[in-house]
Amino acid sequence: MLVNLRQSIADWIFRARFPETSPVTLVQRRIFILPSKEGYVFALVLLVLLVASINYALSLGFILTFLLAAMGSVAMLHTWRNLAHLRIRPGRGDSVFAGDTAHFAVVIESPVRERFAVGLRRRDEEPVFADIAEREATTVGIAVKAGRRGRLKCGRVEIYTRYPVGLFHAWSYFDFGQGVIVYPRPDPSAGPPPSRSVSESGEGVPIPGEDDFHHLREYRPGDPLRHVAWKALARGDQLLTKEFHATASGELWLDWNDARAADPEARLSFLAHWVIECERIGLRYGLRIPGVSVPPDRGESHRARCLEALALHGEGAPR
Amino acid sequence: MSAAIPNAALDARGVMWLLGAMLFVVAPHLARMPEWVGAFFVLMVAWRGWVAWRARHFPMRWVVFLLTVAAAAGTFLQYGRLFGRDAGTTLLILMAAMKLVEMRTSREVLLAIHLGFVLVMTNFLYSQTIPMGIYMLACVWIFVATLVGYQRGVGRPATVAERLVPAGKLLAQALPLMVVLFVLFPRVTGPLWALPQDARAGLSGLSDTMTPGNISKLIQSEATAFRVEFDGDIPAYQWLYFRGPVLWAFDGRSWRMSEFSPAAALEYPKAERPVKYAMTVEPHGKHWLFALDVPGSLPPGVSARHDLQLRSVRPVDARIRYEMTSYLDYRFGEKLPAGFREFALRFNTWQNPRTIALGRQWAAENPDPRRVIGRALQYFNSQFTYTLEPPLLESDDPYDEFLFDKKRGFCEHYAGSFALLMRAAGIPSRIVTGYQGGEINPLNRELIVRQADAHAWVEVWLEGEGWVRVDPTSAVSPNRIDSGINAALGPIGVIPSLIAADRLGILSNLRFAWDALNSQWNQWVLGYNIDRQRQFLTRLGIDALDWMTLALWLAGVSFAVAGLVSLWLVARDLPRRDPPAVRAWKRYGEKLARAGLARAPHEGPLDYLARVRAARPDLGPEAVAITERYVQARYGTGLTAPEARELAQRVRDFRPA
Repeated sequence: MLVNLRQSIADWIFRARFPETSPVTLVQRRIFILPSKEGYVFALVLLVLLVASINYALSLGFILTFLLAAMGSVAMLHTWRNLAHLRIRPGRGDSVFAGDTAHFAVVIESPVRERFAVGLRRRDEEPVFADIAEREATTVGIAVKAGRRGRLKCGRVEIYTRYPVGLFHAWSYFDFGQGVIVYPRPDPSAGPPPSRSVSESGEGVPIPGEDDFHHLREYRPGDPLRHVAWKALARGDQLLTKEFHATASGELWLDWNDARAADPEARLSFLAHWVIECERIGLRYGLRIPGVSVPPDRGESHRARCLEALALHGEGAPR
Repeated sequence: MSAAIPNAALDARGVMWLLGAMLFVVAPHLARMPEWVGAFFVLMVAWRGWVAWRARHFPMRWVVFLLTVAAAAGTFLQYGRLFGRDAGTTLLILMAAMKLVEMRTSREVLLAIHLGFVLVMTNFLYSQTIPMGIYMLACVWIFVATLVGYQRGVGRPATVAERLVPAGKLLAQALPLMVVLFVLFPRVTGPLWALPQDARAGLSGLSDTMTPGNISKLIQSEATAFRVEFDGDIPAYQWLYFRGPVLWAFDGRSWRMSEFSPAAALEYPKAERPVKYAMTVEPHGKHWLFALDVPGSLPPGVSARHDLQLRSVRPVDARIRYEMTSYLDYRFGEKLPAGFREFALRFNTWQNPRTIALGRQWAAENPDPRRVIGRALQYFNSQFTYTLEPPLLESDDPYDEFLFDKKRGFCEHYAGSFALLMRAAGIPSRIVTGYQGGEINPLNRELIVRQADAHAWVEVWLEGEGWVRVDPTSAVSPNRIDSGINAALGPIGVIPSLIAADRLGILSNLRFAWDALNSQWNQWVLGYNIDRQRQFLTRLGIDALDWMTLALWLAGVSFAVAGLVSLWLVARDLPRRDPPAVRAWKRYGEKLARAGLARAPHEGPLDYLARVRAARPDLGPEAVAITERYVQARYGTGLTAPEARELAQRVRDFRPA
């Protein structure tokens, strides 16, 4: 109940503020603090102790009660201090397939003191805890289940702590607008890439098989590391990539119309499977779906481009 | 990067800490409670420990339920109730044990820790000594450390230091606020509601019987029995006899209050030297009240028995205050009814035969009872020693043993044997217990009478004079009556053998220091009640007469102290300023950046210098000088104060743009 109330108040307070620019420093006015449920129980226990002390005229009882009460108020300060002045910036988030778990990295740094048991959580989800070292970037991954393809936003994250004694809950929110692309889940039942589409270029049927070294070309970001010409690099040449051709320049178009499935989502899953397969066996492949056409190529970045096109199909231009 | 959920499951080490803390806090109770309670508790703790350590299954719910019911039933069978000090504490211990057995989540652990705090409090119902205070502070520390442990562990259980150090810091930082609260929190008079009957079991005070040995136990207590505010001068010490229970019945060893004792009006044939005063009696849980001999008026709700003992209708469970008038010069009870006379002469002839023979012999030698009394006092004066640590009287004839063998004793020995001697000599006599003397507080001219001032004396009935007070102790130790108990004992009166062996005086000094410490503890911690609070605050210049004013002071000072502690903690978090050389270097970098020569993050000072000189030869000399100084400050011998100033000046004058 309390959590919900807190969430709705936060929704109202932050409605126009997010997403915000990185990095965020948790300054005093960003941090909220309230007693936790245990804190309220503790207050009740203090009341019982106080009444007992008064009633039985126990001086040591008074001392115990007041010591615990004072400890509670000092603890409030410590809880607040455990969050104050933290610097937060977004880390990178990798694309995932639908059904997998996406990890939004958040980098937290403490300018003073080590911080303990700082929790991060999205609304209504399990928190993840970390100790934050002093003057050292600590990366915390917020795991989010990627349900369906498309853009997955991290959304507002609550950063909170109850250290040292759990009687107070200090928290703040941040939202960097972090997002990852969720690819359609590849569907192996799609079978091998259809051969019909190959004939369009009229250059024969590609034979999947042993990779033959073709030529060296300049390195492009996204090329697989195992294709880098390390020997050439060692000789002092520039960074080069070894091009392999499985067949004599076989080019394959993966076409929306070839993916014969019941609904668009299933088609996308088929196409995703083919993209992965083609990349795995080293074909040059292009992608044609309504609205998007990716010319044939190969390599990690090409694969990512194709999968992204599939992921964002029907979602309009990326913002 | 570490990412785990603390508290998701109860880690075994955290549970062990909690169990240890619980054992600690319950340990002092184990000696006080019936054996089965301790056995049950230890067994449950061991069971829980085994479950946690070996990751066993939890006991089934119905087993826990049955055990809980059995524990409650056992408590009821033991005490006949579930509330009150002993029964309540027992029940709390047993329920805490059951809570330990059944707890499965971290939330329940916190609940158990809260129970632990309450258990700390129950210990104070039994003992509030300095060692107990220190022991319980340690318990609180362990409990807080357990709390910290449950918050601290990320992906692994917290270490011992990670628990104890933050907990210790928390408690240390809480101390100032605790002191403020303790001093200023408004105290009230008396309990908020009627206390259970056994709540006062630990209270010291007189009892309705007197056996050699039981008053001297009271003498060890510094607790206040009552306070007296006199309207006018305080009478001299030897007049300060505060009358309490009057004991008539004698069984050969103990003197008891008689069952039959009709009420009487306070009428005296002679009543002079009236003294007006107000008594403030600390709760002692019994019906009797005290008054200077002899009481001349009755407060409301109080009656007087025919032997001048005041009785309150309700037991004195709360501090009460009443106005009194007494007469120091009086005569009463001139007519002694035959029944009372017979009662005041009764004793068992088969016990204490030598004492009885001595009394009879004196009576035979002296027909005048006054001569017999003088003879007895002379006897005590000649051969006896007054001591707080009298040897035990173990035989069936305790007064024979005392009078003829041991000859060392305390007021109850003297009063008891004197009364028996009188009865043997045919003089009606009875024992009066109460308090004698007291300590005058120089601040407010109040007389404070402590349990240590407990005393017993004798009243004998003489034809034509009525009941007359005779204090045999004064014959042995006149100091006791003239100036109080401490003067009578002297500095080394209590444990002479030990003190004699302690030639260097270390032991006695230690004992004095410990006594002094205890006295301060009693006065300022245990005795810090509404009066003491008022007195203390007045001395500080705070006239906090009503609790509203006090509450305002409390709020103000608490906020101030809490604010100071907060400021101190928060100030340590403020970003530290860079040393001057670094600040100068940063400004130098900023100036160059504006001129299009920003330092790259990876660039060292010398590389940067090379680049600057290449790009702007005109800046060369200045850049070299600044860079050299900076390198010297950071990586070399450091800078002297003039050198640092020179560097700052150079940077100020540096104009690249």
